[in-house]
Amino acid sequence: MLTLANVAAGYDAGDVIQNISFEIRAGENLAIIGPNGCGKTTLLKVISNLLPFKGDIILGGKNFARLKRREISAKIALLSQQIGIYFAYSVYDTVMMGRYLHIKDRFSNSPSRRDEEAVLAALAAVNLLDERARDITKLSGGQLQRVFLARTLAQEPQIILLDEPTNHLDLKCQMEILDYLKEWAKNGERAVVGVLHDLNLAMQLSENILVMKDGEIKAIDKAAQILSGGLLDNVYEMDVAGYMRRSLQKWVPTEVGRSPM
Amino acid sequence: MKIKIIASIIISIFVLIFAITLGSVHIPFADILHIITHILFGADLPEHIRPASVAIVANARLPRVALAFLAGAALSASGAVMQSVLRNPLASSYTLGVSSGASFGAALVIFFGISLPFLPMMTLPALGFIFGLGTIILAIFVARRLDNQLQNHTIILTGMIFALFINAVITLLFALFRENIQQMIFWQMGSFSGRHWDTVLILAPLTLAGIVFISRFRWELDVLTFGEEQAQAVGIASKRVKWTLLVTSAAITGSTIAFVGIIGFVDLVVPHIVRKIFGASHKYVIPMSAVIGGAFMVLCDLVARTIIAPIELPVGAITAIIGAPFFGYIYFSRRKGGV
Repeated sequence: MLTLANVAAGYDAGDVIQNISFEIRAGENLAIIGPNGCGKTTLLKVISNLLPFKGDIILGGKNFARLKRREISAKIALLSQQIGIYFAYSVYDTVMMGRYLHIKDRFSNSPSRRDEEAVLAALAAVNLLDERARDITKLSGGQLQRVFLARTLAQEPQIILLDEPTNHLDLKCQMEILDYLKEWAKNGERAVVGVLHDLNLAMQLSENILVMKDGEIKAIDKAAQILSGGLLDNVYEMDVAGYMRRSLQKWVPTEVGRSPM
Repeated sequence: MKIKIIASIIISIFVLIFAITLGSVHIPFADILHIITHILFGADLPEHIRPASVAIVANARLPRVALAFLAGAALSASGAVMQSVLRNPLASSYTLGVSSGASFGAALVIFFGISLPFLPMMTLPALGFIFGLGTIILAIFVARRLDNQLQNHTIILTGMIFALFINAVITLLFALFRENIQQMIFWQMGSFSGRHWDTVLILAPLTLAGIVFISRFRWELDVLTFGEEQAQAVGIASKRVKWTLLVTSAAITGSTIAFVGIIGFVDLVVPHIVRKIFGASHKYVIPMSAVIGGAFMVLCDLVARTIIAPIELPVGAITAIIGAPFFGYIYFSRRKGGV
């Protein structure tokens, strides 16, 4: 669906990522992991067409350079890490903004039945149907993140990009959303690419993991493969597998008799 | 929502008619309705209405109320745009330096007697427009140099610095050209007195076209309040849209200010109240800011010309007396909220 070839990008100070080449296939859930400052977010910004880049990105057989912003946004949606809100929109209105491209195609400039249905479906998917009239400035961080996820879904893209999507969510919410996205990606020509800080979450979301360090791809492989080699220890400069094993042993009871009632 | 909208429109119309009844000569409400239908549709007048009343309404009160309404609508709608685009409830033509820029343009016209060759009537609004626009562009350009992220407090502080600087230049002009000082002071205070239909006829199409144009961007305005990146991500050409909207609103404000003088804070107070009543969606914020802003301005002007009649107060002073504490209130209540 999406192919990156030799992509490099950065800000005024110079390139933050370079030599980025990989492919995202339909039905895929790809998690991008790596230490702070490795260029994960920059990579996501490039794919969502927010940053200029060198190299080639091919979306559905067409080069990014030849596509208009609206053509890219019709296929790729981004759920950002933190979105500042300044005005008191309702949950419903906020999700409707995801329909921008659909609405803008009509002269009337107002939502159609189809747009309304898409918004309601998206709200139902994130369990916010009953909250749709509420003012977003009154929501909790977790609810807000679900509103923005609903907006992303309402956009009806083929690829959803996630930048630390579950930052503000409690454990149950995190699992629900990641499970939902996993299912979402399996239906038709779709894919999810998520930048995730938490290795556990990355394993939950994805069969495939892309490991970055210092702006380059260190590995892209099946989750089990990534975890078993010594690669992560090298990337994070610590004993990752050992750490995960230790925290498991410490907190998860191995015998039934030891579990607190 | 429909009820709120209809109620506001009815109240606004009531305010307009009420404002026409009051003045040095009181003309009863019912007579006003007769006179207006007479002027608009040529309906017959009841015998008891004197021709003098008709003349007062037609030539003095109606154009004045119409102008106040237009100015209020233009300032409030463009204020709403600036607040949304810059994601700051404190942004307005006043805080961004548009008013000072337009003021400087007007000062040039008044002190140096500049006049456009073909359209002398248009000189004041044209220069007001150009300098108002110029100031905001310059302010944003400088702000961008200082802070690439273009954070809002940078924009507002730059706007204020520009405003202070330009005001200082205007003060210098005051000192140098004493003979026109009266006219300039009068202009600067902002007033609707002594305006005629010709001013209304120039301003009306400009304002209406501007507000209709802005209304077409209601979705873009909605998404832009979440930031440029968010807007880009849903497919909006953020930079272009942002500039288009800022330029349009500065243009409407600049030309309005050039005609009626500096009238501050309306563009800050009205959109804030409108958002409270009608919610944040620009489907309502833009048109309702125009309607309520217009009615509010008519009301302020009514206070200005009747409260200590026959002395007329500058309407800009009235709006500032209401607006400045309000500005403080929004600023500090938001700070407390940790935004």
